[in-house]
Amino acid sequence: MTNGPDELRPARLLIVRGMTIMAAESVPVGVRAPKMRKTLLGYVPIVSPFYDYHPVTRLAMYIFFGVAPVFIDLPEVNVVLLLITIGLLLWGKVDLRRLRIYLPLIATVAMFMFTMVFIFPGQDPSYTPIRIGPATIYYQPVFFTFASYWRLMAMLFGTILYFSTNRERDMLVALRAIRLPFIASYVVGLSIRAAGMFMEDFRTIREAEQARGLDTSAMKLSDQAKLYMMYLIPLFSIALRRADEISNALFARGYTLTGQVEGGGRRSDYILNQYQMTTKDWGWIVIFMALFVAAAVAQYGFGLFRLVNSPLNIYLRSLLGIP
Amino acid sequence: MTIAVAIKDLEWKYENTTQFALRKVNLEISENTFLGIVGANEQGKTTLVSCIKGLIPHSFNGVYRGSVEVFGQAVKETSGLHLAREVGLVFADPEAQFTAMTVEEELVFGLENVGYDINKIRERLEWAAEVTQIGNLLDKSPYDISGGQKQRVAIACVLAMDPRIVIMDEPTSMIDPLGKQFIFDILRKLKEEGNRTIIVVEHNIEQLAPLSDQLALIHEGQIVKVAPPDEFFADPQSLIAQGVYPPEVAIFAGWLHSQGYLPDASPIPRDLAEAVAAAQTALKMGSG
Repeated sequence: MTNGPDELRPARLLIVRGMTIMAAESVPVGVRAPKMRKTLLGYVPIVSPFYDYHPVTRLAMYIFFGVAPVFIDLPEVNVVLLLITIGLLLWGKVDLRRLRIYLPLIATVAMFMFTMVFIFPGQDPSYTPIRIGPATIYYQPVFFTFASYWRLMAMLFGTILYFSTNRERDMLVALRAIRLPFIASYVVGLSIRAAGMFMEDFRTIREAEQARGLDTSAMKLSDQAKLYMMYLIPLFSIALRRADEISNALFARGYTLTGQVEGGGRRSDYILNQYQMTTKDWGWIVIFMALFVAAAVAQYGFGLFRLVNSPLNIYLRSLLGIP
Repeated sequence: MTIAVAIKDLEWKYENTTQFALRKVNLEISENTFLGIVGANEQGKTTLVSCIKGLIPHSFNGVYRGSVEVFGQAVKETSGLHLAREVGLVFADPEAQFTAMTVEEELVFGLENVGYDINKIRERLEWAAEVTQIGNLLDKSPYDISGGQKQRVAIACVLAMDPRIVIMDEPTSMIDPLGKQFIFDILRKLKEEGNRTIIVVEHNIEQLAPLSDQLALIHEGQIVKVAPPDEFFADPQSLIAQGVYPPEVAIFAGWLHSQGYLPDASPIPRDLAEAVAAAQTALKMGSG
């Protein structure tokens, strides 16, 4: 049998904790080896020390860095968490230039939040007005927004860290490893896939329109909004067709909702079987979960992370003479 | 010889349509033979293989009459899980059958469903990856590979499950000529192994005919002809009238027959080598 037309040359594979990594040798001569690879939700490094850890450990880390800021009002702590997250991204060999795609989001959120608090500060007699030229802002809502922004940023970077160091497969393995029913993890997988496909279909439709001379930059904002609404029609029909195809594919491959195999018994999980938990994994899981619980208890039990305890808040209040 | 597929008086009409997509179809396919199905578009080829696979009536609504049996079991009464072990279907659009995040997961998904243990899964995975030469794609997303690679992955997914009947619905419709050749190489290898019933729906008759033990022509929802390739192409004009363009070599041989340059009993060539032999015979007859 001949080689297929699609190979450049045989690739050498590395197996790291069940994650097969395409080595640089598989890249054609003269082409720089890629450091990152595309996933349905972004990019992950081809080689990363994170891959030495079980997906469940990485999920536990995400729960701490991505969710724990919910309990923490103090901007100082959230900024520290954010800096640690950036340090982990660097340690994990994530190409930070790839994260530029999030800059518009970071800027837009800031713009939206601070504009809102400026225009609609709310009404409370205890608010302290501060005059800046002709404008008046109120200290309490502005500082609350400032703290909330850093909380959001800490959560966003925790999420970015997770999606930049875990492929979809790792996410599913983590869910299955914590005994989430197969059907549930499978639905999560299909949803991730659907999101990626939806974006791809959207891009295809846009390109097809541009190929036929549509110039959105010359359109009014209202017309652009109408155009986006019109995209929904083909996108939904494609989504429905894909749902039908997936349903047929699942039938064709013998999938049953019960996850039972013929004659009873549970289905094997080949992919999960390729990952093994180590003592190191257990250790980190315990640490992250303990930190997560500690953060919750510190906030709701002792109010440790409330804004009144913020050194920056205390300093600014004393500066502005706010009791 | 054991009958792998027995179709009796099969009729099928999709929900919300006015005409039957299949009409009084009768067909028997012997075990471990290679059947090529040809026909113009919208004549019922995909519907027929969907009936064999059990997608019809299990996953589609409509009017179903007659019966389809796979190794003696009525498809209508058999569970999808059992059918998955017996019949594998490669869809025309390979992406339509992908449900997983990586090629490796895609391959093992079906194997997990039918209840293989980890060792058996590994064994089948390695075998299928080798046959279709996708070992270097296992870690990739099935959506980020080329059309030819997608089709090979789709075939590997089905072969890995080791079904007794392998159906491929236009497996080369979305790929380049070299990719097509590679798919036919896989089909040739499967045929040489001789332990599977293979059913292939394909427009590329030039390459399908040499592999096929039988060719079936579907026209307007009916099977109008089932015959070995040399008989199948005996009347090229009737095939053309039904929307199927026979191989150039068959048309050439047909012309030689019509002009009396070939004896009536001589077989219709299926490929270039057989056509050269037929031409040499014609030259001898002409000079004699």
